Amino acid sequence: MSTTPPLLHLQGIHKQYGERELLAIDELRINCASAYVLTGMNGSGKSSLLRILAGLESAQIRSASFLGQPVRLQPYPVLLRQAIVYVHQHPVMFSGTVADNVAFGLRLKKTPYQAQQVQAAMLWAGIAHLANQNAKTLSGGEKQRVALARAKVLQPRLLLLDEPTSSLDGEAREQIIALIPTLIHSGSSVVIVCHDRELIALPDVQRLKLRDGQLFFRIDGS
Amino acid sequence: MSRQSKTALSRLPNTASDRRVKISDAIYQAFVLLFTGDATLWQIVWVSIKTSLLALLCATPLAVWSGYQIASTAFHGRRIVIWLLQAALSFPTVLIGLLLYLLLSRQGIFGSWHWLFSQSGIVAGQVLIALPVLTALTLSAVQAADTSYAETAITLGAGRWQVMRTVLHEVRFGVMAALINGFGRVLSEVGCAMMVGGNIAGETRTITTAIALETSKGEFAQGIALGVVLIAFALCMNAALLLLQGNTWNAEQIR
Repeated sequence: MSTTPPLLHLQGIHKQYGERELLAIDELRINCASAYVLTGMNGSGKSSLLRILAGLESAQIRSASFLGQPVRLQPYPVLLRQAIVYVHQHPVMFSGTVADNVAFGLRLKKTPYQAQQVQAAMLWAGIAHLANQNAKTLSGGEKQRVALARAKVLQPRLLLLDEPTSSLDGEAREQIIALIPTLIHSGSSVVIVCHDRELIALPDVQRLKLRDGQLFFRIDGS
Repeated sequence: MSRQSKTALSRLPNTASDRRVKISDAIYQAFVLLFTGDATLWQIVWVSIKTSLLALLCATPLAVWSGYQIASTAFHGRRIVIWLLQAALSFPTVLIGLLLYLLLSRQGIFGSWHWLFSQSGIVAGQVLIALPVLTALTLSAVQAADTSYAETAITLGAGRWQVMRTVLHEVRFGVMAALINGFGRVLSEVGCAMMVGGNIAGETRTITTAIALETSKGEFAQGIALGVVLIAFALCMNAALLLLQGNTWNAEQIR
């Protein structure tokens, strides 16, 4: 199991807000094709940690490696940018249709892409019937699914989801929860910040807990 | 000064006793000028529109770029820059005219350009007047936008220019408002155009400088006619703005 290098391995993560030390993590190891839920109290730094991994926030990091290759997180390298996608808690939709939004990341690349890729991602997220709808008019659950499709279409090695179900309930929430295992099976690693018990209880999901700035691995439920 | 190119006006009674023209007569004459396609009148309108559009064309890229940069990057002295920028909004245009006059006059740094009393001089003045308005309004539009737009673009792999394009596209109504405001400001400005342009008939006479001149001569018809044109422009531009802003929602159809 541990003969393959971890997807992302960070050592000595420190994040300071003024006087307060928010994060003081010895080690964070994210394996390939694995899923993690990251729990912790409000303000414990879960989102900050996720944003640090996504290169949206700065932190002091002693050493970092990606698939065994040493990397630096500041400035955030292209290698990581292509491999890691972060999805906001309340995703914003760009002007245009749902299909435009899903194709956003593909369009940024200079290389041509196939409409089929976009279609497949929309089918996966169950939003193919909304393809030509104005993305800004969608419901919260639909926006979350567009955001997931928009990230998945780029085939990232690591997906960072910030409380994907926090503002949803009922069927919308169930639909998001049902998508998570399919992400893991497609070979991506996922780190999910959440409070959602149903997400935490998903099979094959490893649990990380942030408390007092430190990270704890929890092997099984308790 | 007495170049008589004002063909239609010269047909009007011009003796001392007739100078006390009734306002109703002036208004009537104004509409005659408007609807008979008076060459002098439309020449003045054309100079105004041409210089304003040119100025806007020069000022917009720089202003939108700097507005975006100031709004989206943290740097030392940022608040001072914003303070100066907003103060620049209330600088009187005659002051900008004076500054430019000194720079462009024969002893000035740019005297060799021979831009004083030319349309280029007017355009330069209007660029200086438009820059703060465009920059400040773009800045506030970008600042008001959700930072998640930029972050989402970044995490999906956008480079610096692509992030800027994405964010500006999302706040395009604010940028549009900036443009329309800027156009209105340079079109209606008198002081700078008068000082730097010199109000030369057929050359640098703009709508506003012509109104000022004609009124001071006691000849109201052309002034009123030009005023009608100016107001019509203001109404059209603001109607366009209103339509755009009322429909941010289904923006795709407008575009």
